Amino acid sequence: MTECPACDAHVECAAMVAGEIFPCTDCGTELEVVTTLPTAVQLAPKEAEDWGE
Amino acid sequence: MSDALRLGIFLTIVRPEEKQILQAAEARGITVERLDDERMAFDLEPPDLPVDVILNRSVSHSRGLYAMRFFAHYGIPTVNAADVIERAGDKILGSLRLREAGIPTPRTIVALTPEAALIALDQIGYPAVLKPPIGSWGRLMARVHNREEAEQIIEHKVALASPQHSVFYVQEYVPKPDRDLRVLVIGRTVVGAMYRRSSDWRTNAARGAESEAFEPPEPVRALAIRAAEAMGGGILAVDLMEAPSGLVVHEVNPTPEFKSLQAATGLDIADRILDYVAEVARR
Repeated sequence: MTECPACDAHVECAAMVAGEIFPCTDCGTELEVVTTLPTAVQLAPKEAEDWGE
Repeated sequence: MSDALRLGIFLTIVRPEEKQILQAAEARGITVERLDDERMAFDLEPPDLPVDVILNRSVSHSRGLYAMRFFAHYGIPTVNAADVIERAGDKILGSLRLREAGIPTPRTIVALTPEAALIALDQIGYPAVLKPPIGSWGRLMARVHNREEAEQIIEHKVALASPQHSVFYVQEYVPKPDRDLRVLVIGRTVVGAMYRRSSDWRTNAARGAESEAFEPPEPVRALAIRAAEAMGGGILAVDLMEAPSGLVVHEVNPTPEFKSLQAATGLDIADRILDYVAEVARR
């Protein structure tokens, strides 16, 4: 359990892996798991122009 | 399949696809080295990197392309190879390859100035489609209905900072049904296929298109494999449209997302990817 850097809501990412992207359940901001032990998240990277498949 | 494989995964973020690959690798006992594209730097001298093969899952075309060039320089095989990423990830180079391979593809004209773009649009005829040469998910694509719209869109594109918006990839608008086809090719095999349906003219899964499994008949399989081979082969998602004249290939994607295809077909695509990556490592 940690806090969303955008809205301070508690976010849970127990079953996730570092690098995983997920939305904050309160404000919907896309977050990225930085570490799982201890749990830390940051704002997900912004999509760049050359991103794609 | 060797459990002793040491796999490097070059990635930006962990989407469901990367998570499945990581989990499938762990289940096989494969040693995985995660290589974060935001943190890596590349020395001309080979580093001590304990991997047998690299799988590119970066969402950035330029990062993936340059990184795979360096890994090849270090003597490490990559999936896909840099040449494949360069061709398939750049719509201009990709179209050239498709045309040279005799694969049906929408009529396309590339213009290098705004003035030439307007001439190209006149030649293609309206409606036409303007696409950025690099990028996907239907982003920054425009369907242009007339000259007035074209002038406005081109003015906006020129105002964007990136030089790639001053290169104009002009393509005929294909009046297709409310769907296109995606065929995933791994090596010389069609692994799976789906329809992507949308009321939007852009039928990208990233834009909310609905997926439906599709069992491709032999001619579709053969066409998809030819398109993948035209790019140099590897793990490639071939996108096709049902044009009035028949099937046309409009795009080949070198770092395919497969969440929708997997959901539609029930296939274990991460496992098939690892099979192929292990095969490349053994070559």
